[in-house]
Amino acid sequence: MRRTVIAVGALMFGVGAVMAQQEIAVQQDNLMRGQAKSLYDVMLKMVQGKISYDQKAIDAAIADLEGSVPKIPTTFATNPKQDVVNSTYGASQKVWKNKADFDSKVPPVVKAIADVKGKIKDAASLKIAYDSIQDKCTDCHETYRVKLK
Amino acid sequence: MLRRILLAAAMAGAAAFGVYWWLTAPPIVLAATEPAYTPNLANGQVVFNAGGCSSCHAVPNQPDRLRLGGGLAIPSPFGTFYAPNISPDPADGIGRWTERDFVNAVSKGISPRGTHYFPAFPYTSYQHAKGSDVRDLFAYLKTLPRVSGKVRDHDVAFPFNIRRNVGIWKMLFTDGKPFTADATRPAQWNRGAYLVNSFGHCAECHSPRNFLGGIIAAQRFAGGPNPEGEGWVPNITEKGIGDWSEKEIAYFLETGATPDNDTAGGSMARVIKNTSQLPADDRAAIADYVKSLPPVEGPPRPPKAQK
Repeated sequence: MRRTVIAVGALMFGVGAVMAQQEIAVQQDNLMRGQAKSLYDVMLKMVQGKISYDQKAIDAAIADLEGSVPKIPTTFATNPKQDVVNSTYGASQKVWKNKADFDSKVPPVVKAIADVKGKIKDAASLKIAYDSIQDKCTDCHETYRVKLK
Repeated sequence: MLRRILLAAAMAGAAAFGVYWWLTAPPIVLAATEPAYTPNLANGQVVFNAGGCSSCHAVPNQPDRLRLGGGLAIPSPFGTFYAPNISPDPADGIGRWTERDFVNAVSKGISPRGTHYFPAFPYTSYQHAKGSDVRDLFAYLKTLPRVSGKVRDHDVAFPFNIRRNVGIWKMLFTDGKPFTADATRPAQWNRGAYLVNSFGHCAECHSPRNFLGGIIAAQRFAGGPNPEGEGWVPNITEKGIGDWSEKEIAYFLETGATPDNDTAGGSMARVIKNTSQLPADDRAAIADYVKSLPPVEGPPRPPKAQK
């Protein structure tokens, strides 16, 4: 009986640990998805002319990025050692092998956001702002983001 | 009797070694004089960007993609390769190379000393390039900054570290044929086919490979596991990106933005840094050709394993 309890307990603990790790991966994924929404679903779509220019939406997107990007190093503090189930993108294990280098990729993004804040007035300035932020995102994605599908 | 058997074995061994030596020898390249040629630097730059030279040869972790001092680690199932210095530095780069050395390296994968290069250097694709384009590229590379510093040796385990074996590999996986245009297709499509299959070397990553590291021809462009270890390289045939329009492919090559509002990461981020510099016509040509790739089912993705 005692053995069964220990076995079941260990199993539940194991399942719990796995779920917790999946939870961490999901949190990391959500943080990046939120930023993607502001940068791509709002700014990029306007750059491409898929949606019309909307100053309010841009200001909200920049404010969101300003608040969210600095959270990357802490949200990625723990290695979940797994990807979000069925996701298209994941974080490379290199993030945790070179965490200091990974973290060092964030301040340039923060700076790019600060540099364009309040300067986006029209489609032309939006394109410049988008490119400068996107460029810094890619600097990190090049090494630390993995396509899974 | 025993002496005879030993003698026969020794002779067979010697004969086998002779055949091996003959099979793996780099072809003797005659130092024939090419007709005089005035290189076109502007075309050389286009070739440089199409070829993605700086994706591997630019010094990592610094912003200037024209500093070709090498050093990037390229992991593979056979070991880790380190991209060499191809800046015009006379001591550590290719500053002392002749044009002929360069053409042999790019088109045949043979070093100036007459040894085989490992196919991490994609001469398997570059072999299809036009001679004039290779010569223009050489002239263009000569105009870039000299970067000093030799790159460390590759870290490849036995038996893959024996360069002579690459001779057999080349026999299996290269044909040495120049690109031939398809007369039934328009010029733009042919330009795209040329760029994709020669300098663009798209198939080198976007195709699955067999256990010897050769591209599985039937699944060319159908994607597969990333040879660098993590992740998956997408299928770029109709099967994979059939819902992308030609315009969307060209826009992706210019900006890195995908039709589903995402952007390229991984090695493709470096590719975009090059393709974004190409003339718009060339991106349109590549898109035209890629869009025409018939649907091919790629290797099955392994079930999601927990790392």
